[in-house]
Amino acid sequence: MSVTTFKVPVGPQHPALKEPENFTFTVEGESIVKAEVRVGYAHKGIEKLMESKTYLQNIPLVERICGICNTAHTICYTQNVEYLYDKAPPRRAEYLRVLIEELNRIHSHLLWLGVVGHEVGFDTLFMYVWRDREIILDLIEALTGNRVSMSFTTIGGTRRDISPQIESKMRKGMDILEERTEYYKRTVPVDPTILARSKEVGILTPEEAVQLCAVGPMRRASTLRDDVRSDDPYAAHDEVPFNVISYDTCDFYARIMVRVDETLEAINQVRYCLDHMPTGPIRIRLPNTPPIAEAVSKVEAPRGEDMHYVRSNGTDKPARYKVRAPTLANLAPLLQTMTSRGKYEVNVADIPVLLAGIDPCMCCMDRSVRFVEPSKGKTWVWTMEQLKKYTRKSVRRPLSGNVAGR
Amino acid sequence: MSSGAEESIASEMKNLLGELLEVKIPRPRRLHIKVKPEDYKRAAKHLVESIGLNHVSTITAADTGKEMDVMTFLFGRGVEVMLKAAVPKTDPKIPTLTDIVPGVMFYEREIHDLFGIVFDGHPNLERFILPEDWPEGEYPLRKEYKVTRLKGPREVD
Repeated sequence: MSVTTFKVPVGPQHPALKEPENFTFTVEGESIVKAEVRVGYAHKGIEKLMESKTYLQNIPLVERICGICNTAHTICYTQNVEYLYDKAPPRRAEYLRVLIEELNRIHSHLLWLGVVGHEVGFDTLFMYVWRDREIILDLIEALTGNRVSMSFTTIGGTRRDISPQIESKMRKGMDILEERTEYYKRTVPVDPTILARSKEVGILTPEEAVQLCAVGPMRRASTLRDDVRSDDPYAAHDEVPFNVISYDTCDFYARIMVRVDETLEAINQVRYCLDHMPTGPIRIRLPNTPPIAEAVSKVEAPRGEDMHYVRSNGTDKPARYKVRAPTLANLAPLLQTMTSRGKYEVNVADIPVLLAGIDPCMCCMDRSVRFVEPSKGKTWVWTMEQLKKYTRKSVRRPLSGNVAGR
Repeated sequence: MSSGAEESIASEMKNLLGELLEVKIPRPRRLHIKVKPEDYKRAAKHLVESIGLNHVSTITAADTGKEMDVMTFLFGRGVEVMLKAAVPKTDPKIPTLTDIVPGVMFYEREIHDLFGIVFDGHPNLERFILPEDWPEGEYPLRKEYKVTRLKGPREVD
């Protein structure tokens, strides 16, 4: 090939979101031939810190691993500690956990859909979606007292109960959100701006998804029907029915549609929880010191499988606590989607949407871009803003097939 | 998922390796197995390729004093299996799983950074989480590493 290769560094300022990580892309003209990543710019040392705090003190800390999916981490942590005691919380608390988890999923997926709108240059969608997201934030505030960090779950159950007033408010909110999400579901498959940036972009084949251990919507957009809620049910997920969503186009478009459909599923799950909420207490009291044991807990966070591991040593502090947030699991698949291979070509202008595609949460795990062209010995750095400008200017190759007709 | 999958996986592993160091089923859909470090790779390969637990949730480690436990979490057939092997702290070496499951690449690099465990045969064990100027040979998640320099704000006179 006569085209020379460049290496393009991206980061540590994120091309798409507001967190730091560093990517190095090796490019041949427009086409990316290799992608590398370096994280750790936001490493907080939470695992080490947790070893010096009691189980109860760790709840607020775990909640701050991630702002957006804080509920997933708290539920995962609290049920992990409950596994150590081998005790289950009251059924009502388990339903409340599913309720708050699904509210969190709606909020997270809508936030992401807005970001996607912004990344592809469709800011009207961004503003529409984020306006609708306010509904869910208000409901979360009514239920928990906080808009984002919910402080809702605790060891042995939940901290708050739901009142009939909030319940009726929530039903109304769900009706509006359902109507709006249905509208987005109709919009995405026909809107030319979204389709041009998403169809056949960032392919991850099912085989690659399995080999690279992709999780969450990323995995389900590659035809695989794996979801912790159905494969390893926790809380009340053994009773609350839902459909595992998967799409078979394996591209960025499929990742959008999986999340839109999951939002609709989550709305139905919230309704089911409200309809079937058992009566009874919301919390059991547990002693401060759990028995010596090991436990593994998994939760389907909005971004995918969240896994925690705990080992107790007979004191009121954990001997070892491990958190594997979904973004770390999706890094290897992400690099794969950003590499041109065989018939799949990936261009520089696809970078922001692909990064947004895994719904990265680097603080749960890190952004600028470095480009390198070794044959010319040339290296340059773009900030995300420069890259985004470039993305919006550049025109994508024509699509194969009649996309708008789908 | 059929109940009893935990037992059948445990007995299959016994058939492969003879006596296991530790087998526990703490709750449904959880299985903890401890093997000798020399059996670790064979056990993981069998779990992934023959039993079909092809999703590796993560690889992590824990400091137990003189030794460090390397723990691999595999999921499939409705069971989350924890495969554990203890390596001595003086020579913490264990074979890599990257040739069986390429997705474990970053997990092994993370553990190499934080615990100093060397994964034999890993294609690229460079710094991943820790900063470039982090001192060589200091592993923050080992028990002997104490966070002292970071405590409290600096005094202002």
